[in-house]
Amino acid sequence: MARLEFDRVTVQYPVYDVRAKSLRSRLVQMSTGGRIERASGVQIVTALRDVSFCLQDGDAVGLVGHNGAGKSTLLRTMAGVYQPSEGAVLREGRIATVFELGAGMDSELSGYENITRMGMLLGLGQDEIRARMDDIETFTQLGPFLRLPVRTYSSGMTTRLMFAVATSTRPDILLVDEIFGAGDAEFQARAAQRMEALIATVRIFVFASHDMAALKRYCHRFLRLEHGHAHEIDASEL
Amino acid sequence: MFLITRRLAAGPALADLSRAARLLHVIAFMAAGDLRARYRRSVLGPFWMTLGTAAGTLGLGLVWSELLRMDRASFVPSLTAGLIMWQLLSGCITEATTTYWRQSAILRNLSVPLSMPPMQMLLKHLINFLHNLPVFVAVVLIFHVPAGWPTLLAVPGLLLVTANLLWMALLFSMLGARFRDFEYVVGAAMPVLMFLSPVFYRPSYLPFNGRFVWLNPLSHLIEIVRYPLLGGRPPGFVVLTTLLMALCGWTVTLWLFNAKRNRIAYWL
Repeated sequence: MARLEFDRVTVQYPVYDVRAKSLRSRLVQMSTGGRIERASGVQIVTALRDVSFCLQDGDAVGLVGHNGAGKSTLLRTMAGVYQPSEGAVLREGRIATVFELGAGMDSELSGYENITRMGMLLGLGQDEIRARMDDIETFTQLGPFLRLPVRTYSSGMTTRLMFAVATSTRPDILLVDEIFGAGDAEFQARAAQRMEALIATVRIFVFASHDMAALKRYCHRFLRLEHGHAHEIDASEL
Repeated sequence: MFLITRRLAAGPALADLSRAARLLHVIAFMAAGDLRARYRRSVLGPFWMTLGTAAGTLGLGLVWSELLRMDRASFVPSLTAGLIMWQLLSGCITEATTTYWRQSAILRNLSVPLSMPPMQMLLKHLINFLHNLPVFVAVVLIFHVPAGWPTLLAVPGLLLVTANLLWMALLFSMLGARFRDFEYVVGAAMPVLMFLSPVFYRPSYLPFNGRFVWLNPLSHLIEIVRYPLLGGRPPGFVVLTTLLMALCGWTVTLWLFNAKRNRIAYWL
């Protein structure tokens, strides 16, 4: 039983300009009582405003919206990377994310070492990683290259490795930020296949994309994000 | 105090730390991996650092003992112990200011405890410290430094230092993430703190009253381990200051971490 519930969630965060990021100008500002300073260089961005929805077992949700509409922020708030400034997020079930690939990768280490590193960061145990090693090896098709440091890989090879690890978890809730579209055509076909296999095993799937065909293929509920507001739309309105 | 404890227990700071404590095996694996990566393309690996420390001690020890007209047998062991402690302290403090930036790919994409990267960084420097320790052991054997039961006091001393370094690592990581120039502030302060701390000399060697040395908090962190390493007991006030620093430091750090923990991901 997986559940992902947003109750009137607002996400606001400060964006600092160069001056506000400097301790020196902060101290000057304090010592002059802030009189000379015009603006303090801090801008509050409201990325999500009063968002509520409830996702349950079997839901596959597509997120649509312009660049900067809040899709990535919403995904990160779902994952627990960002904390809401107001409202509550309820999560039940193991969550896996496929956002920017390769978190925790070290290019000096070998492919095998990196598989273990990234896997552990994704919450896999040593024995789970060992159990999935064969599957990862087969998918990457890197063979003996896995013994070499990742810095010797081409970018396509690196993508294959990162994608294989990211999709080797068996979560209840899967959050995906547009990642298809790297590597050669053959890899893309296999990546889509692997992704579909993964989607079939998860209980809740959330996918942010601009690719309408992919959205229609994988999802049956759709959320449109506009200026931080989210409302559910029908497939015909895409 | 009770009120503070209750407020903290309700906030995210302690929850974050306990989550990180449960991931200790992951943190250890990552720290070891960082070191392996750092020394991957070298023959001696981390023992290059041992060699560097040995060469530094040898050079500085021989020249300075002549310059300062000190007895080599007491100066070189004291210098070695001071240098390896200083490497641990300054390494941690300096690297803490950039820790969150370095790990931003992880922090922005995975829901990991935010106390994890500072812990990983501290652990890495503790492993480095262990690699430097053989240099001191060699010096002990060469100069017949008295080793006995008081030497074992170095272990609890080091634990106290670690407790202090952990809050420093967490606090400085946060400050470094929020203020980009904090890194340079710390970088500029460290050499000054080095000369104001008894790394190269013992306070008793100074021709004038050396009490100002004790105003530097790092002096206490060095001496609490160095006294036992040289076969003595650390003076009571050093132990007391170290304990007080741990208490005050953790209070401030937990309070700040509690207030700002949820902001850190946005700073990166």
